[in-house]
Amino acid sequence: MTLAATDTLYVALVCYALGTLAALLSLFTPMKRLQHGGLLLMVAGFVAHTFWIGTICTRTGHPPITNLHETAAFTAWVVFAVELGLWIRYRVYAASFFVYPLVLLLLTLSAVIGEQFAVLDPQLRSNVFTAHLLLSTVGVACLMIGVAFGLLAFLQDRALKEKRRGRLWEWIPSLSVCKSVSYRALAVGFSIYTAGLMAGILWSYRTTAGLMDLRVKQIGAVVAWVLFAVLLQQYIAGAYRSRRTVLLSAGAFVAIVVAMLGISR
Amino acid sequence: MIILVGLNHRTAPVDVRERLDVPDPQLAQRTAALRGLAGVDGATLLSTCNRVEAIVSTRDEDVIETIVDWLAASAATTRTELEKHLYILRHGDVVKHLFRVASGLDSMIVGEPQIGGQVKKAFLTAHELGTLDSLLTQLYEQTLRVAKRVRTDTGIGEHAVSVPYAAVELAKKIFGKLGGLQVLLLGAGDMGELTAEHLHAQEVKQVFVANRSFDRALELAQRFDGAAVQFDRIDEHLASCDIVIASTAAPHFLIEPQQVERALDSRKRRNLFLIDLAVPRNINPGVGRIDGAYLYNVDDLQQVADQNLGLRQQRAREAEHLVLREVESFRKRLVAQDAVPTILELQQRLEAIRATELEKCLRRVGPMTAEQREAIELFSTQMVNKILHYPILQLKEASEEPHERESLRRTIRKIFGLR
Repeated sequence: MTLAATDTLYVALVCYALGTLAALLSLFTPMKRLQHGGLLLMVAGFVAHTFWIGTICTRTGHPPITNLHETAAFTAWVVFAVELGLWIRYRVYAASFFVYPLVLLLLTLSAVIGEQFAVLDPQLRSNVFTAHLLLSTVGVACLMIGVAFGLLAFLQDRALKEKRRGRLWEWIPSLSVCKSVSYRALAVGFSIYTAGLMAGILWSYRTTAGLMDLRVKQIGAVVAWVLFAVLLQQYIAGAYRSRRTVLLSAGAFVAIVVAMLGISR
Repeated sequence: MIILVGLNHRTAPVDVRERLDVPDPQLAQRTAALRGLAGVDGATLLSTCNRVEAIVSTRDEDVIETIVDWLAASAATTRTELEKHLYILRHGDVVKHLFRVASGLDSMIVGEPQIGGQVKKAFLTAHELGTLDSLLTQLYEQTLRVAKRVRTDTGIGEHAVSVPYAAVELAKKIFGKLGGLQVLLLGAGDMGELTAEHLHAQEVKQVFVANRSFDRALELAQRFDGAAVQFDRIDEHLASCDIVIASTAAPHFLIEPQQVERALDSRKRRNLFLIDLAVPRNINPGVGRIDGAYLYNVDDLQQVADQNLGLRQQRAREAEHLVLREVESFRKRLVAQDAVPTILELQQRLEAIRATELEKCLRRVGPMTAEQREAIELFSTQMVNKILHYPILQLKEASEEPHERESLRRTIRKIFGLR
């Protein structure tokens, strides 16, 4: 990778780190300026991040999702893009306390691995494979946002029930917004993720004549899919406030992380 | 200079304040009358239920006496009687006071939002009448900016400090926007009525009223553009309403957990907010343990209001720091602005001396290269700049006291031979 491309990734990382720090510090002060400063830093990081993705796309001719280094970075980018969209729509500050660290974590993971960017083997290249990679990554990003907002809904519900305010009380939007964003993100994310898995199975069938291998990545992905399906059903049944839902979300999140860590070239 | 003469809820009892109160339709006329007083260059009049303040710009401090007499005449009282309640502020104290007032820091209920609008109204009225000079215009524009910043940055007015408002705030925490929601009011207790009134003001879709006396229910429903319902049919409305306010004199529970469970089932577990303002309570506390039902009684709401008051006081301390910073920055801006003509004159004077002396010097030295000429020119310019540095700094950072500023200006003009 050229110095310029690596540099933009590190610039993004530094901006994300400072933005996350500012957002977390704002928990201890009511001054919204700190939150706004954090958001500006995150947006600056996002611009550098976008530049990095653009560079990789130009060089390889496909999105940067062929190894863990690229996938982690691309997932972080999509997660922040969705978060930014939601902020514009709902002005939800509290999500930043979960989403910014998640974005930072993913990009740190990517930077620590620091592999060379990968050009897909021409034999592997197909629209189905690209669709599998893109849809799975975007689906995972939406599901992560859904989990973050689900957690906010749970915290808000507890605070209202127990009549106790925590530090997040002021930053969390109404229960109705948390629930509706969480449900929509999960529903959209689950559909996209399912399509991504189907594309992966189809591609596997075409190239190896088997439906899928049973390696960590595949097992993690399928377990996550099942857990998210159950989670979605909980939402439809109106049981999104329960402790079980939070445990399910945590399980699904871990399964997704396991699947991601299992990604290799 | 800017001068403020006024009284407020801390310095004057209500019977004095009401005599000086300026009703909205008379605000323009009274502001114009204030501007018409001898020695007043610019004038605004701020009148709310808690304060009346005349803010003027003038070059003559004696105008204070005129304003006190004018206020005493307006209140149909004697000057001696009124003076006991008045405060008189000058220069920076006026700036700080106005910034604090507009931000709600000087209000009876700290952080209350109406005062910002009232300050704006005083400004706009004076602006339309043409009673503002540039100094007051700058002061008011900055005041409105500071008030907005205080509210945005500290969130001082965001929390409800009364029981009915606390209920509205909690409803917003549960449902977000309240438009489109249905409210059921049980009974006709004062607090219940007030809460329903606040919710009605938030443009809820409909308010249903149930009362033992159907006539009273009809009367209340009319007030909220709502509908009266029979008391024995509240179960149906529990399922369709999102917010329930219980405020009856019944000595027993009117709503039991089973009723709420049934209601939640038929409303597909959509959230239900129950506000029990009655003593003895009207809603079984067991309801609060049901998923999707949020029950608050009068003590819970009072606790929320108390916590909010504490929060407001904490925010107020932060807001005070912000106001102090803004006052200092405004003072510096005004002083610097005031010094501009003298600074310009000083620069022109020294530039003229430099140009003349340079020309003489060049003639004496005779032919020289372009580099040499440039070096001498640079030397003369830098020397003049260094000489001017401290006088300009002193002028820009001069005291806010106009007399001291004027004295400094005179000294500098004398030393440098300015006209």
